[in-house]
Amino acid sequence: MSAALPSIEARRSEALDNFRTRGMPHRRFEHWRYSDLRAILDAGQVAQSGTAKWRVESLPQGVELVDLAGPADAPEWVIQNLGAVGQRPTMKEASLAFADGGAALRVSRGRKIAEPALLQISGSGNVRLLLVLEDDASLTLMETHDADAGLLRNVGVEVVLGRGAALSHIRLAASSPKSITVEHIAVTEAGNARYRAHFVNLGSKLSRTELHIVLQEDGAEAHLSGVSALGGETHADVTTHIEHAAGGTRSTQLFKNVAGGHARAVYQGKITVREGANGSDSRQTAKALLMGLRAEADLKPELIIFADDVKCAHGAAVGDLDQESLFYLRSRGIPEKEARRLLVRAFLEEAVAEIEDEALRAKAWHEVERALPHAMVALQ
Amino acid sequence: MLEIKNLHATVGGKEILKGLTLNVGVGEVHALMGPNGSGKSTLSYVLAGREGYEITQGSVTYRGADLTTMPPEERAAKGIFLAMQYPVEIPGVTTVTFLKTALNAQRRARGESELDAMNVLKLVRQKAAALQVTEEMLKRALNVGFSGGEKKRLEILQMALFEPALAILDETDSGLDIDALKLVADGVNALRAPDRAMLVITHYQRLLNFIVPDRVHVLADGRVVAEGGKELALELEAKGYAHFAKEPA
Repeated sequence: MSAALPSIEARRSEALDNFRTRGMPHRRFEHWRYSDLRAILDAGQVAQSGTAKWRVESLPQGVELVDLAGPADAPEWVIQNLGAVGQRPTMKEASLAFADGGAALRVSRGRKIAEPALLQISGSGNVRLLLVLEDDASLTLMETHDADAGLLRNVGVEVVLGRGAALSHIRLAASSPKSITVEHIAVTEAGNARYRAHFVNLGSKLSRTELHIVLQEDGAEAHLSGVSALGGETHADVTTHIEHAAGGTRSTQLFKNVAGGHARAVYQGKITVREGANGSDSRQTAKALLMGLRAEADLKPELIIFADDVKCAHGAAVGDLDQESLFYLRSRGIPEKEARRLLVRAFLEEAVAEIEDEALRAKAWHEVERALPHAMVALQ
Repeated sequence: MLEIKNLHATVGGKEILKGLTLNVGVGEVHALMGPNGSGKSTLSYVLAGREGYEITQGSVTYRGADLTTMPPEERAAKGIFLAMQYPVEIPGVTTVTFLKTALNAQRRARGESELDAMNVLKLVRQKAAALQVTEEMLKRALNVGFSGGEKKRLEILQMALFEPALAILDETDSGLDIDALKLVADGVNALRAPDRAMLVITHYQRLLNFIVPDRVHVLADGRVVAEGGKELALELEAKGYAHFAKEPA
């Protein structure tokens, strides 16, 4: 197998060629429609943005860590996977080409790690992450992004889940109103593997979180959820593509967005059920609560089905705070500001509840609550 | 306690209340009866301060103060409670959290100390048993998946918890079977007190067999067209609303 695979260096140089040939993604591409990267960033700026910093704040016992900026003699599992997982979209190619470093984590076969691994990304530039969970391994990873992302932070993440492996991935991105933050996450799953991910986006000048998940074998599952709480001039785009490539695969998605000020929330969710992936089941829901008349939400579910006997359900809704509920709470003595906050919290609750780890859920709530006053500014 | 004088109110530009006058004294229970569209619910929303209900003429005085300029939360803190005909469902907020938030907000507004979660729960449990509001209901999201009867019982539980000076019950009997009606009426009767007034709004006389009023007012086309003692409700039942609508009081 590895003999057929080009070296990491060759992959990086190919990525550089691809990036240079294709140029910046822009709104003429359907899946970049609501996030025109080219309008605010040029390829030269990406090339010169350097490497972002990463730090593992907590590494539970049993998790193997490799610094991708380290020795050239990377272990076999890094060589096998780095830059080789999934498709090769442009910004992911950029992170592979320009990041001189990153982190690779592995959990070996059958090891179940109870304590979460905590990883922090800071500074501007490109960085790569590789997560490999071998058969029946499990891990919870919290990835936090600080607010100081400079001009651009571009992260390329690859996730490889073996048979029966389970990864809970929580990504918490602080508000970074002057920065462009892009993250591409490619996931491949073997049979009965399970990828759970939750995304907390508090907005950037342009924030793009893109996932491409391939449920490769029978019984693989993906459960995505997230909340965006956006205020000011910020933007957050979550674009997902889940491919059901085998029968009996399942995916669920639940995204809740609150946008105030001039903020813009975007969700695009594409589900492809490939030929032969019979009996697969997918559900997606995206909702947005708009505060005032200047905030915007674009929610776009998309289904492409080539198989039989599949269950696909999707829904999207944009609205404002329910006036009847607001009156009910106020008539019980709850002041308007507190009542509004209670209703917004209640709206987000269902999605945040998807974070299984209690401490991490509390941490996510803490950050969301801090962002809410800003996200609840209603402009006329 | 409550004095309504020549009240005119519009909803969406349409005049619904057309010169309503009504006085409720302290310690009294008044019934307000009327056919659909006579303005019963509009009056209850005007008294609770709902947005979109505009007073164009007349006055509403509560304990000597002008009620019309107060936001709904201030009215609640000052002792006005409206048991709604259609209590709203709020997913994501548990019933017990809601009760605690509301009770403490009222206490805070009155300059009283807030109660901690344990004490609120103790108080809620005390009041909940008689109304057959179960522990399981308290843990559920507010009114979500509650039956009609459960919702009404929860309204009365709130009334018991907040101990208002003026309780307005808007068609609390609607959608209740006879057992549920008795349960709710018992809950209301238990709260009758010399320092508390109640305005019971209903379409049917049935509820007034269980909550016996001191005074009955008949509303038609936005005005009180007849007033009397509890026997007026029976007369109304026998003669029908049409009979009263013709002769303004």
